[in-house]
Amino acid sequence: MALTQVSSNRCAGGFQKVFEHDSSELKCKMKFAIYLPPKAETDKCPVFYWLSGLTCTEQNFITKAGSQLAAAEHGIIVVAPDTSPRGCNIEGEDESWDFGTGAGFYVDATEDPWKTNYRMYSYVTEELPKLINTNFPADPDRKSISGHSMGGHGALICALKNPGKYKAVSAFAPICNPLQCPWGQKAFSGYLGSDRSTWEAYDATALASSYSGPQLDVLIDQGRDDQFLSASQLLPDNLIAVCSEKKIPVVFRLQPGYDHSYFFIYSFMNDHMKHHAKYLNA
Amino acid sequence: MDLYELSGGRLGVIAEEAEHHESPSSTMNRPTRDVSNFQRFSVATNESLQFQPCEGSTPSPTGADDGLDDDDVFKEGETEREIDKTRNLLQGKVAEMENFAGHLEEIFLTVEENFGRQEQNLEQHYNDVLQTLSQRYDERAATLEEEKKSKLEALYNQLLSCGQALDASKELIETAQEIYRSQDKRLFLKAVTPAIKRIEEFAKEETDLTLSTSLEFNTPPSDLSEVKTMMDSINVVPAPSAPVINPQMPNSASQTSLRVCWSLFSDDTVEYYELYYRPVLEDMPADSTCTPYVSKVKVKETHCTVTDLLPNAQYELWVTATNTTGISPASEKALYMTVPSPPTIKQRECSSCPEAAMIRWESGNANPVDSYTVELSKMGTDGTESGVTESIVAVPACQCLIQLQPGRRYLISVRAVNIGGPSDRSDVITVSTIGTFFHLLEDTAHPCLSISEDGFTMFYGDEELPISAMAFDDSTFTRCVAVLGDLIAVRCRHYWEVEVDDGTEFRIGVAFEDAERNSYLGANSSSWCMRHILTPTRHKYEFLHNGWSPDLRITVNPLRIGVALDYERGTLSFFNVDLEQHLHTFFHCHFQNYVYPCFSLDNTGALTVHNSIEAPEYAFI
Repeated sequence: MALTQVSSNRCAGGFQKVFEHDSSELKCKMKFAIYLPPKAETDKCPVFYWLSGLTCTEQNFITKAGSQLAAAEHGIIVVAPDTSPRGCNIEGEDESWDFGTGAGFYVDATEDPWKTNYRMYSYVTEELPKLINTNFPADPDRKSISGHSMGGHGALICALKNPGKYKAVSAFAPICNPLQCPWGQKAFSGYLGSDRSTWEAYDATALASSYSGPQLDVLIDQGRDDQFLSASQLLPDNLIAVCSEKKIPVVFRLQPGYDHSYFFIYSFMNDHMKHHAKYLNA
Repeated sequence: MDLYELSGGRLGVIAEEAEHHESPSSTMNRPTRDVSNFQRFSVATNESLQFQPCEGSTPSPTGADDGLDDDDVFKEGETEREIDKTRNLLQGKVAEMENFAGHLEEIFLTVEENFGRQEQNLEQHYNDVLQTLSQRYDERAATLEEEKKSKLEALYNQLLSCGQALDASKELIETAQEIYRSQDKRLFLKAVTPAIKRIEEFAKEETDLTLSTSLEFNTPPSDLSEVKTMMDSINVVPAPSAPVINPQMPNSASQTSLRVCWSLFSDDTVEYYELYYRPVLEDMPADSTCTPYVSKVKVKETHCTVTDLLPNAQYELWVTATNTTGISPASEKALYMTVPSPPTIKQRECSSCPEAAMIRWESGNANPVDSYTVELSKMGTDGTESGVTESIVAVPACQCLIQLQPGRRYLISVRAVNIGGPSDRSDVITVSTIGTFFHLLEDTAHPCLSISEDGFTMFYGDEELPISAMAFDDSTFTRCVAVLGDLIAVRCRHYWEVEVDDGTEFRIGVAFEDAERNSYLGANSSSWCMRHILTPTRHKYEFLHNGWSPDLRITVNPLRIGVALDYERGTLSFFNVDLEQHLHTFFHCHFQNYVYPCFSLDNTGALTVHNSIEAPEYAFI
């Protein structure tokens, strides 16, 4: 798979780059952002995968989240893909901001017309890591995953569905229980059909209740003044309840005054980097 | 020092023997020529010293050409070695001679001294005798003089009265003659009868013609016995002069004994010494009626070890010397001190961290000592004692903060020191610099909190304590059922763990020493703590400081909590040790003073503190 560099900027002693490639899973050209820390010049580094939320591209995170300094300090490569396939010309893909373009929900769609291109789950868990490991000084055995909102949901389900694959997981204001919230119900019925039992495979709360595998250590930050929290889109209490019962270690922090924006992400990015570094650099 | 004694009678010959060729221990194989001066010194050595002129017979040490065959001079090794040997021997003998000469000088000086002293003694003695004699003479002369005067007076008086008597009789006779010659018959008759009477009376008087005093002088025999004894004593051995008692030698005392030494100033003969000693008491009563008992020891040597004494006590000692003549005056009084009793290390008040240890002890002595010495030896990594010991001296108080290396074990003991020397070692305490170690400050514990025997588990029982048992003092917690830990006051990283039950409501963290004892942990700015609350539906966790906590949920209840304190960064972190999970960190804590671990139980339950654990890597990222 040929990679084309789209941009490169020196940042925090390393390089913030954007690449484009032809994705076999998504059957279209996809961009992703990658931050290479100074350490990557000499050694293989672990990889931190970031999944962005609704309406985002690969740009939002690298310009607003302020992750590069911490990544440089801990010697971690940060990869941030796009949030859905682009330019596929599927009818209805641009109708809503919370479904279709920019709203891939990190699932492998089974319904037409989405099932050909909308395979973000496989892209993130299979194709992208292979690409990164081949083309960059990445340690194939040390990776972790995180994300915001829809990306938070994506990070949680990737970790829960792949026990042992990710050394660490964390999330910012994730959609914890898509089965029960408007966003999730809209997206899953569109991508997965009406049989709700198929939805459980992509619901963090459902997955947590049946999780078995190596111990996780999940860090979740949630802004208390997040409008979507009060709109019952996020439902963290459901996840916490299940994790308490199933003894899945979670530290969930409700941050007073913070909302759903990148200002919130920026404020706690360092804590999450530290959390990931503890396991990636162990 | 008796010169005669020293030489043993051997210092007889210092003679110049002109042609004595035989030299019993000559190591030189050269032919001897023209030996002119041969002097032999034989004081305690059997070797003789031989002097020979150098010309031609010995090669000079500098190898200068002296007319000998070149080949001889440059014969290797053999010659040189011989030369060296001889030279060394010569040097040795020269040194011996110098020594001996010095010795002789000393002897001469001593003899002079002794003679001088004897002379003085003698002079004084004789002076005394002369003085006494002249005193006697004066006395005697005075007495005689007086006697003479009184005799003369008596005689003179007698003379006077004789004269008077003479005059009286003369008068009488003249009167009688007058009467006889008188022409007037009538007057004659009138006067004759009384006159005859008077004459008759007068004639009857006996005149005493004896001398009133004897002409002899009373000369009692002179009492010169004193003088005699003085003369006699000149040749008798004098009573000794006062000995000189030595000041206390370092390391000569023990806890219950003192080794006392003294010496004789002069060369007196002494039969035995008597050493007196008594304890010097702090508070001597004003009247000297109850002075402490004076003990006495009789010894023949000039030293004595006095036993059965009290430790860390001062004693006054003096000594007298006795011989057949009498007892010397007492020496000056010397003050000696016994060594203190060893201290006792207070195990429950010692604490440590990777960089240092704080050791506290009890003096072990009722009275103050001068200082303490702390001794430590590092144990090797294989568990054996490395034998290297370090000593910290002049520790003024009963505690010491010692710098140590991390990750090792040390054996530490303490000695008390006073003028007399150091005490025995206290019992040894083992200190490990793996992780931080502390005991609980049981004085701060709320009365309802009971602490296990080993001091690391605390219980909040559900028995109601009677009011009488609720004794509070300044340092105990009065509302929060809490206790503080005695963390070592070192600004480094500290880590400890706390074990709790699922149902235990607790608060654990750190607090300043002056945290208010009547408020709850975490309620104000003097403490930071993690709090576990049990509600009917779930477990709740708070991280409190100044009464405020972030809002968070923890899904797996930590049963073993790691607490990591970093003074430099000003952080306090909590971890679920079993999961290696980070729970929360307080940032920007201004630890302007030292902080102490704090623990409290908010319901019935138990909590155990675990110490001496090396901080896991994740604790201080």
